[in-house]
Amino acid sequence: MSDKGASDTPEDLGEPKGEATGAIGPVGNQGDIAEYLEELEDIPGTRVYTAARARKGYWLNQFAMSLMKEENRTRWRADEKAYLDEWQLSDAVKQALLDRDYNRLLDLGGNIYFLAKVFSTDGLSFLQAVSTMTGMSVVEYKAMMDAGGRSPEGVRSIKGGY
Amino acid sequence: MARITAGVGSSHIPLLGVAVDQGKTTDDYFTPIFSGYEWTKEWIKGEKPDVIILVYNDHASAFDANIIPTFAIGTGERYKPADEGWGPREVPDVIGEPDLGWHIAQSLILDEFDMTIINEMDVDHGLTVPLSMMFGQPEAWPVKVIPLAVNVVTYPVPTGNRCWLLGEAIRRAVESYPEDLNVQIWGTGGMSHQLQGPRAGLINADWDNTFMDGLVGTSDKNRTIPHIEYLRETGSEGIEMVMWLIMRGALGAETRLLHRHYHVPCSNTAVGHIVLEPVT
Ligand SMILES: [Fe+2]
Repeated sequence: MSDKGASDTPEDLGEPKGEATGAIGPVGNQGDIAEYLEELEDIPGTRVYTAARARKGYWLNQFAMSLMKEENRTRWRADEKAYLDEWQLSDAVKQALLDRDYNRLLDLGGNIYFLAKVFSTDGLSFLQAVSTMTGMSVVEYKAMMDAGGRSPEGVRSIKGGY
Repeated sequence: MARITAGVGSSHIPLLGVAVDQGKTTDDYFTPIFSGYEWTKEWIKGEKPDVIILVYNDHASAFDANIIPTFAIGTGERYKPADEGWGPREVPDVIGEPDLGWHIAQSLILDEFDMTIINEMDVDHGLTVPLSMMFGQPEAWPVKVIPLAVNVVTYPVPTGNRCWLLGEAIRRAVESYPEDLNVQIWGTGGMSHQLQGPRAGLINADWDNTFMDGLVGTSDKNRTIPHIEYLRETGSEGIEMVMWLIMRGALGAETRLLHRHYHVPCSNTAVGHIVLEPVT
């Protein structure tokens, strides 16, 4: 083995083959999964789609996927409750879907790309649907985007407060 | 022998596809976005690439919550545009390059990248929007495409370093293919954006531009950016930018900048676009 520098540890991500230069050690703290997962929960107003959320929201997301087919969208539009009853979903998930409460759906393990099938079926754009999670009206939210978007200042870390 | 002659980075925001499909690209809202692609549209007519290795992510279209491939390569003959909830985009089918696709898949696996191989799938806005940005509205796409899908949705997604190394391995695979083919690699997605939760709408132009700076020349500092930095600084969906590192890794030790464009906003997202060539 050639010299890898100081990073010859179990979590070493490996020496680049090919022409790239420079020793590559553990990337950030991604070698420590507990610390890695803890940090993902430290972002204000954000639910990172972790394995835990993916497990919790599995059938919610699979339900949303079903709306990629026109025949399912037709049945969903005709009777939302009846369509939901065909799925293994908790009452909380069903209610949040009927309410189009997207923040709640994120808490229940929904992922935005899956939930997009629901709001697309409603004829909503990403911007319109996303604005509903921010506490702003669509008009206010669009004005914020047109003015350059939300600054990361102060919303990077809950613990750090920066 | 086949060669990677250029790398292209581009956002793949769904609204860009809507603008093309509905003929709105010269509206006041879209003009500052699309004008930054004019240079590339002219350039690519002269370059005439045979094949694009198109690095993108599937947004819960071909892959549902059941099977989550970290890296998947398309070896199919053709791919249809996906129905993402509002009907499929009316764009041409994407024509594959199974011979080169299988060559790359085999090479990567022997090079210790354990790829998932996909023969049949529909392709969503992640793949078709960049084609529209570069080629407009042709009867048929003027290139063959090898889709390379990356999981950037379910955590953990691959590290930036792993993406860069995959890019290097793709370059070795392409260069070991005997046929003379002009191959480009595109990295798509980003730039800063967050589509969920009360923090939605986050944009970080300074960070995005520093990231683009880091793709040019001999720098490889982007490869060590941890996931948490993308999340904190660029929003929960800004992580898509790791896909640009596959493109960058495939260009070798040094790149030359040919074109660069940045605009805020398009929908919820910062638009970034860069054209690079390898310095060999
Ligand atoms: Fe995307």
